[in-house]
Amino acid sequence: MGIIPYIVVSSILFICGIIVMIARKNIIAILLGIELVLNAAALNFVAFTKFNNMNIDGHVFALFIILVAAAEAAVGLAIVIRFFQVRESIHIDSATQLQS
Amino acid sequence: MEYSISTILPIMLLPFFAFVLNAFIVKKFTKTAVAISCVAIFIPFIMAMRIFIDFVFNKYSSDYYIHKTFTWFDLSAGAQIFKVQMGIYLDNMSAVMLLMVTGVAFLIHLFSTYYMHDDPRYGRFFVYLSLFTSAMLGLVLSDNLFSVFIFWELMGFCSYSLIGFYYEKEGAGNASLKAFMTTRVGDVFFLLGIVALWTTIGSVSYVEIYKAIAESSLSSPVILFGLGIPLATFAGFCIFMGTIGKSAQFPLQVWLPDAMFGPTPCSALIHAATMVAAGVYLSLRMYPLMDAGGLLEFIAYIGGITALGAATIALVQTDIKAVLAYSTISQLGYMVLGIGVGAYSASLMHLITHAVFKACLFLSAGSVIHALHDHHTHAPVQEMPRMGGLRKKLPYTFIAMLFCTLAISGIPLFSAFVSKDRILGDALVMAAHSPIYIVPAILGFCGAFLTPFYMFRMIFLTFYGEPRDQELYKHAHDEHFSYNRNLPLLILAVFTLGFWYSGSLTGQGIVKVFPESKYEWFQVLVEKPVLNKFLGRTATPLEVSESKEFIEHSHYDPNHGIASEEEAHHVHLIHRFGAAASFLIALCGILLAYSMYITRKFSPEWWTTTFAQWTKALKNRYYFDHLYIDILIQKLLHPFNNLLAWIDMGFYDRYAVDGWERVLALSYSVARWFDNIVIDSVLVDGSGISVRFFNIVLRTIQNGKIQFYFLVLLFVLASYVLAFKPVI
Repeated sequence: MGIIPYIVVSSILFICGIIVMIARKNIIAILLGIELVLNAAALNFVAFTKFNNMNIDGHVFALFIILVAAAEAAVGLAIVIRFFQVRESIHIDSATQLQS
Repeated sequence: MEYSISTILPIMLLPFFAFVLNAFIVKKFTKTAVAISCVAIFIPFIMAMRIFIDFVFNKYSSDYYIHKTFTWFDLSAGAQIFKVQMGIYLDNMSAVMLLMVTGVAFLIHLFSTYYMHDDPRYGRFFVYLSLFTSAMLGLVLSDNLFSVFIFWELMGFCSYSLIGFYYEKEGAGNASLKAFMTTRVGDVFFLLGIVALWTTIGSVSYVEIYKAIAESSLSSPVILFGLGIPLATFAGFCIFMGTIGKSAQFPLQVWLPDAMFGPTPCSALIHAATMVAAGVYLSLRMYPLMDAGGLLEFIAYIGGITALGAATIALVQTDIKAVLAYSTISQLGYMVLGIGVGAYSASLMHLITHAVFKACLFLSAGSVIHALHDHHTHAPVQEMPRMGGLRKKLPYTFIAMLFCTLAISGIPLFSAFVSKDRILGDALVMAAHSPIYIVPAILGFCGAFLTPFYMFRMIFLTFYGEPRDQELYKHAHDEHFSYNRNLPLLILAVFTLGFWYSGSLTGQGIVKVFPESKYEWFQVLVEKPVLNKFLGRTATPLEVSESKEFIEHSHYDPNHGIASEEEAHHVHLIHRFGAAASFLIALCGILLAYSMYITRKFSPEWWTTTFAQWTKALKNRYYFDHLYIDILIQKLLHPFNNLLAWIDMGFYDRYAVDGWERVLALSYSVARWFDNIVIDSVLVDGSGISVRFFNIVLRTIQNGKIQFYFLVLLFVLASYVLAFKPVI
């Protein structure tokens, strides 16, 4: 079994994430989309490391990405909560305060 | 006596202050004004007397002079020098002139307190007199032509005001205008001459001009109408034209007889001390320039023509003042003739002697006029045919007038014999040397025959015979001696005696007023300027320059600078012959007048009927007024005026001024189009539209929707990747 199936899966994940980020109006859904994109990237790292050479650089990077994704999810959810307190909505189009 | 500006200038400034005070402050208090004026001329008289005595007895030399200058204004910038200096130039000639002007003016002031006493504008008359005297004194003290011109014009204004003093009188206004405008013709030339000298020398002071002549830097030609004329000739001619205007020489003599409209004392002032003397004085000052310019023959001719022409017109005048006016023109002609023939000191001497006797004659005429009042109209009478026999009523006036008449006629022991006959003698000498001077000499001698005739005609008609208008005679006031009426007349009459001016006629042993000069103090004092002494002179502003090398003793040269004994003898012979001839001629004139108006051997009517054409021409003053007013002004200047008016109205106004309006309307419509299209539509509205357009574009892109931004980002990234096809 070659590298292709890994890349296909990660591409599907990536595209799903992008589509979620563009199409959904719910901020939490968009955060989920971002997680999908990150995980697609992490999957790519792991796959390329497995098939190219025998070091663990890709695994380390995957771990880093999971870590960063967790931190990013925490910050993003905090922003979403704060946003909900102000606007009583988590619809992305109600974030218009910078648009003067 | 130490001379500085503060000791000399008051001579001129005191009458000026009197003028200012009287004109602006004390004009309501007539008597105060008169007193101020008289005091303000008496003090300068004393000062002038001091200067005169100082110059005559202490600095006894003809080339002593004092020159003090100050800078009036300085507009020099870098190498461009433009500096106008004023100053005082005082030499023997100025000293003599100062004494004459202040003395005569003071006596005229004194007489005016009598003559003008009942006039409603008594105070104003003295205002003008003060200004007039001040201007003349300023002119005499001036060291440059520029300030001469200022005072010259000031006198022109004063004569204008004084001639038009009785402005209710018909013709007075016209006469004053005529005097002003006629002299203005000469003044324009004078100014032109000043400008010509200024541009060449860079200065107009006498000293600089003399220096320039001595260096002969004035011979560069001026290009005038395509002719190259030497600058000295051009400038000299222009300045002499000023003299012609001011001193009423041919052909600008027409204003002076009309000046008789003024009060009689002012006529005395104009004719004797100030106005007409200024012209001759200027010509004397500029004598070296005219000599260098070769104008002397021309000047001699002008003088000769004036002397004879005015004398002939005086023959037929019936107004007592008109006779005197023409005699003034005639005598001024003699002075100018004297300048022309090089009789420098004699010319100035004649100016002085003439000032004295002419002032006296005019004041006497004023005294006569004042005594006679028409019974019906109460107007003063000036017509000689209505007078006669006034000798008994006006004894003092008669004596004074007789003295002056003897003087003007050139009778020995009187002043004009010394001065006029010296001029005539020099004219004879010149005529013997070059035939071009024969005509002026003959003209002068003919005038010398007519002068005693018309003067004695005036005396005989006025004072002798039976009164022709009995009623007028009966109402004439008897003359009682009064200090301000008769004293000036008698003082002036005393100074018509010849020994005051020359020692030689009365015998040298009898009168020794001036011991240093045994012969002629006047000729010792006043000589032609020696130009060479100005050669080394360098201009030092704000400095006092004084000629140091004056000679203690008289260096009068009876041979007139002629080296050869034989030739000097020849000149003396001609002088003696001239004196004898003019004396004989004068006697003939007096005898003719006597036989015509006293014994009635020859009837004047016979002459007027036989020479009817001549009489008519003389009565019309040789048609000069006709020539000037009817032909020159009406036929020439008036159409010219109309032409100019037509150019102004029809051409300039119509095309230049109104055409300008059209140009403006056109440019206005262009500007409006430009404003509407370019500014309003394109720039103002266009910028708005473009801002709105970009607003729409930017608002569409920058809509604040984060997902849209992301999409764009993705799109750009994808297109970037697709475009460059990275190597995998």
